[in-house]
Amino acid sequence: MPQNLDPATPSLANAAICSIAASLIPEPKNIAFIEADVKVITANESETFEKFRNINLGINRTEIDIKFELEMSSQKKKNFQIEAFKHRVVVDPKYAEKTWKILEHAIHEIYNHNASGLSFEELYRNAYNMVLHKFGEKLYTGLVSTMTSHLKEIALSIEASQGALFLEELERKWTEHNKALQMIRDILMYMDRTFIPSTHKTPVHELGLNLWRDNIVHTIKIQTRLRDRLLELVQRERSGEVIDRGLMRNVIKMLMDLGSSVYQEDFEKPFLRLSADFYRGESQLFIESCDCGDYLKKAEKRLNEEIERVSHYLDAKSEVKITNVVEKEMIESQMTRLVHMENSGLVNMLMNDKYDDLGRMYNLFRRVPNGLSLIRDVMTSHIRETGKQLVTDPERLKDPVDFVQRLLDEKDKNDKIIHLAFNNDKMFQNALNSSFEHFINLNVRSPEFISLFVDDKLRKGLKGVSEEDVETVLDKVMMLFRYLQEKDVFEKYYKQHLAKRLLSNKSVSEDAERSLILKLKTECGYQFTSKLEGMFTDIKTSDDTMQGFYAAMGQELGDSPSLAVHILTTGSWPTQLTTTCNLPPEILTVCDKFKTYYLGTHNGRRLTWQTNMGSADIKATFNKGQKHELNVSTYQMCVLMLFNNGDGLSYTEIEQATEIPTLELKRCLQSLACVKGKNVLRKEPMGKDIGEDDTFFFNDKFASKFYKVKIGTVVAQKESEPEKQETRQRVEEDRKPQIEAAIVRIMKARRVLDHNNIVAEVTKQLQSRFLPNPVVIKKRIESLIEREFLERDKDDRKLYRYLA
Amino acid sequence: MRRGSSKKGSTNSTTTSTNSSAMDLFRSASGKAATKELERIDQLFYKYSNESSGMIDPEGIEYLCSDLEVEHTDVRILMLAWKMQAEKQGYFTLEEWRKGLKALHADAIVKLKKVLPELENEVRRPSNYVDFYSYAFRYCLTEEKQKSIDIESICELLELVLGSQFPQQVDLYIQYLKTQIDYKVINMDQWMGFYRFCNEISFPDFSNYDEELAWPLILDNFVDWVKSK
Repeated sequence: MPQNLDPATPSLANAAICSIAASLIPEPKNIAFIEADVKVITANESETFEKFRNINLGINRTEIDIKFELEMSSQKKKNFQIEAFKHRVVVDPKYAEKTWKILEHAIHEIYNHNASGLSFEELYRNAYNMVLHKFGEKLYTGLVSTMTSHLKEIALSIEASQGALFLEELERKWTEHNKALQMIRDILMYMDRTFIPSTHKTPVHELGLNLWRDNIVHTIKIQTRLRDRLLELVQRERSGEVIDRGLMRNVIKMLMDLGSSVYQEDFEKPFLRLSADFYRGESQLFIESCDCGDYLKKAEKRLNEEIERVSHYLDAKSEVKITNVVEKEMIESQMTRLVHMENSGLVNMLMNDKYDDLGRMYNLFRRVPNGLSLIRDVMTSHIRETGKQLVTDPERLKDPVDFVQRLLDEKDKNDKIIHLAFNNDKMFQNALNSSFEHFINLNVRSPEFISLFVDDKLRKGLKGVSEEDVETVLDKVMMLFRYLQEKDVFEKYYKQHLAKRLLSNKSVSEDAERSLILKLKTECGYQFTSKLEGMFTDIKTSDDTMQGFYAAMGQELGDSPSLAVHILTTGSWPTQLTTTCNLPPEILTVCDKFKTYYLGTHNGRRLTWQTNMGSADIKATFNKGQKHELNVSTYQMCVLMLFNNGDGLSYTEIEQATEIPTLELKRCLQSLACVKGKNVLRKEPMGKDIGEDDTFFFNDKFASKFYKVKIGTVVAQKESEPEKQETRQRVEEDRKPQIEAAIVRIMKARRVLDHNNIVAEVTKQLQSRFLPNPVVIKKRIESLIEREFLERDKDDRKLYRYLA
Repeated sequence: MRRGSSKKGSTNSTTTSTNSSAMDLFRSASGKAATKELERIDQLFYKYSNESSGMIDPEGIEYLCSDLEVEHTDVRILMLAWKMQAEKQGYFTLEEWRKGLKALHADAIVKLKKVLPELENEVRRPSNYVDFYSYAFRYCLTEEKQKSIDIESICELLELVLGSQFPQQVDLYIQYLKTQIDYKVINMDQWMGFYRFCNEISFPDFSNYDEELAWPLILDNFVDWVKSK
């Protein structure tokens, strides 16, 4: 049967079926084997020999038929048998030589593109017979030498190609070689399947590739030329030229087909070396000429280019390697310099909120070891530095509300950067938190200022603001509060400020007040807020008491001034031990009546008037008959009432009459006489400050647009220096028992403990409230030793023992 | 530091009774020589004791000192007090007297004078010296519930008990105590701390002084003070 080996010819399919079927029938033992063969062909050559699929189907059907028959036959008790096929014995001694000649000729023809005249069936049979008759070795060596000689010719023609044509020629020859190789393998399939595995030789396809590698790719003239050419094209593409990516892909694919080691040795390694050199140079160039942002943009672009290159024509495994090279040369080796670049480095980006650049930096630096920690460190020191400037700037200290607002702004700004540019990275959030904690505590007045900020917000700042916004502000304050080490100092101030708000009824919203206390409670526990809550209760009880008072004594009081008393539980309120000033007789009468009433209903209590905390509304008539209602403090009221009985009072007279403490008196006179628009008194000589020799007059020329005039005290809103020290001292005093209690608690549980561990444990136990000073802890320990709660160990002096 | 005044008060009244019973016990149990010695010790006691209080009082001690030919501020008198475990500063009871002199085998003033150097050697032994040092502090506590001693007395006491042993440290420390203002009194813990300090810390560089260790704070301050000088 003449056969056509050209895969394009449709007749082949039918022929193949016939031929295989022919050998199938006489050799039933080989059924499975042949079927497997065909399957391999279809699987391997599905592209070229598409028509073989039909064969596969056909065979399958045959097989089923036969199996069926076999089954049938077994049912019929094996009365049907398939005899084994018997070959003729070849006697011709020149048979091998002759057969090989035919096959050799065929191989030549295949290489010369003359395969259309060949008969696949005949050649296959010849090869099959040669192997069958033990001439496999001859067949194999013949194949090697024939193929080698052809490849040597091909090598010559490739070498001869000029310039740019070189790669194209190589690619073309490679495709041809592959085609030829397929055909040859098909012909020699039987050898491939039986002879080669049993003699452990290289299979035909692999052999063809190896020969190609040794005779073409690895020849001196081609090897370096190929490599240089490939690298040159890559370089050209990097510099912006358009190259034939298809050609590149095919040639690189060839190298990969020849084995991963060929790809790596002949291309990948030199490629990576070249790239490293290239990017080293380029990074130098860029770093000299660009600012940080531009550099990062360029580096990012390069990185993406390389990734794209890999996807277009390199082995996917090369992606990690080449990106590593870019990362190392463009980022890692320059990152310190980039980050610290003058006027454009990280600090500059942070200051100017360059989210894009920062994000780019984050994404690039995260690719290299220590990249992110570098950013974090620089950012941390930057935040600490700016924070330190902020909290230590004496200018800032003048306005506590602004001070805290700036802290919040700083926090918001950095939060936004971390959110937008740093992917909300926990590492950066932690760095931000620790930085804030660091610098907020650099200023000992931070607790006071934060409390003042809250005070401001709760007095007026939150007027007309929605409930949710109030919550947001309070949450932010709580965030700052968490950074504070001296939470007990905050508590002290908060108590003072809350007291003022409650007593002067200045709080905007009780809900907001309670909400903040709730937050403090969740943060620091019940103890922290119990007294604050007690203050709210006192205010409520006081209202009820006043109602009771007026219900019981209303008629008796007549038209004497109306009184509102707040009864404050000692201990809950930040009361100061102040000497009560002399109240005007009108007021004193009512006060005494109240005292009698209150003590009548509550046995065994003591009332002390805190005249420094009250306020009063008084009606005043001025010269031209206009009337005003003045809202003043208790002290101011005492002063003003003096002018009912006389004018032109000297400072000393006022001081003697009222017995108001000097500092307070000066403050209250200042606000009565020196504030424009509120100056109901007149002072001689004029001036901003109050002197001991000043004399005061009723200012009958006083005028105001408003009926109600509020005369605030000139408050040093912040604490004055002595007050500050006093508060500080109180805080320190309050800490002593807390530290001692902690020491005793710890020692009671541990019995014996060394000094350092006690200090550490005490610090740990107390840090939610404040950071105890080790020296103070030591002092407390010594005090406990003296009071025989503890003793030193007789032998190891680091140890303390608990004395039960 | 057990120094109840009630105890002190009762000592006098019980002295005589325990006295005689102890004597009886002694006579029946030991030989004549011992009895004689005890008698002589008692005689010596009565030579210096005040008849009304039944104790050797400060005046008696001064008398004793002149017989021994030592100053009454001499450290050896303090050592004698330690040997007797005398409870109250400036007074020796009969019981304490017997205890001390018997241990010293001194039943005459000449003998006592002779054993004084031996006593000093005994005290100077390190194992005894800590005890003596802490005794010296307790001995100076005169008031009930008193737990600390004022700086001035402490300086004198230091000079007395440690002055010969660690002259430089003591000098500096006294200097420091007199200039600082944080402490007005010294307690037992701080007192004992300084002895350990002299024994353990290299002087004058304090190179092995570690503030992390549990030295009393006053010594931390002392070291800082010396270093800043």
